[in-house]
Amino acid sequence: MNYRHPQLRQRLAAEYVLGTLHGRARVRFARLAYADAEIRSAVREWEARLLPFAEELPPVKPPARVWQAIATRLFPEARASRGWLGGIAFWRGFALAASIAVIALGVMLLVPRYTAPGESYVALLADDQSHPALYVSAARSGRLLSVKAVAPIALPGDRAMELWALPQQGPPRSLGLVGARGTTVVTLQASADTTLAAVPAMAISIEPTGGSPTGLPTGPVVYKGTVVKVW
Amino acid sequence: MASSADRSAQLAELLARIALRDQAAFARLYDLTSAHLYAAALRILQRPAWAEEVLQESFVNVWQRADTYAAAKSQPLTWLTSIVRNRALDWLRRPDPDTVDINDEEHPVVIADERPDPLEALLAGADARNVRGCLDTLEAQQQQSIAPAFYHGLTHSELARHLRQPLGTVKAWVRRGLEKLQRCLEAA
Repeated sequence: MNYRHPQLRQRLAAEYVLGTLHGRARVRFARLAYADAEIRSAVREWEARLLPFAEELPPVKPPARVWQAIATRLFPEARASRGWLGGIAFWRGFALAASIAVIALGVMLLVPRYTAPGESYVALLADDQSHPALYVSAARSGRLLSVKAVAPIALPGDRAMELWALPQQGPPRSLGLVGARGTTVVTLQASADTTLAAVPAMAISIEPTGGSPTGLPTGPVVYKGTVVKVW
Repeated sequence: MASSADRSAQLAELLARIALRDQAAFARLYDLTSAHLYAAALRILQRPAWAEEVLQESFVNVWQRADTYAAAKSQPLTWLTSIVRNRALDWLRRPDPDTVDINDEEHPVVIADERPDPLEALLAGADARNVRGCLDTLEAQQQQSIAPAFYHGLTHSELARHLRQPLGTVKAWVRRGLEKLQRCLEAA
């Protein structure tokens, strides 16, 4: 069969989405769609046409055990607690950030001649296993954000790390690209106070060189951490 | 009440956060969409245990693949629905399913009232209204074959039995119905 024939492609895409394409034909078509952008876009068009039907169905609340099963599979470390804020992962992250804040304070108190950072925002970005990777700090009234790699990070040559502010409200905001070793200084559009006051967390995603093409994270998120106000 | 566009923007934002491994956003997405998606799975699979399994698999998949949403260029609910429907259809078409007989007395096909409740009708938005309008322009036979295929995941031969018509006839109804639907939607 010639799948490249536009009419046939349309018909198969329609029947795939409708559900009448089945058996080996369905499997074969799904495999073709995976490899062929034109088939994929025909499927997408038919999904846009037909799937709103499914959205018209009267909703049926699934039993609570479905969510419990999902959460147990994906977030075993939070199993002990039902609430998100009560989750062990949250407190682990919080404890980490808090200890960094204590260290930062300690540095300020113990080294009087250290050019006192004064009131600052700090964050320690760590991986899934809470291994710290990047230390972020910015003077409260300043516009410079310093990002220090705790140890050199292995990164493919065609990839970059992008730093994101995760505000309480609204989508992630890019703060800029950061280096995989040493310290990167990012210039903020406005003071750290303006930029970070309502930002409880930051994250690093892996993006193409030059940064995310969409303005939102497109690659995997590798590090994340809580933003702490030190004052 | 949030408009359809507001709701889409909200879901897209949640997916962006989920791509950043935001568990709270994931829980919120589940709260907002699981009842719609469960209804879609249940309609195809008929058995709550299967629909629960498919819903669980689908959300695990959403967590793992949220970073591919942006590239899909779909409405968020359409993207989520496609994940659930494809899993449900694959489940139904497993190589060796334990007897899926839609006329099974023990598991009667529950064809509930197809009309959405008024709240849901409002939520359904312009896309659904367009499709609904176009569906209304189809001939009765075309409608009768497309709606059960879509809602219940019936194959051509199951449809033929359901409608008590020869297989070739039913296939032609489905094909012509889909072509007409496409023309109507492109004209809309």
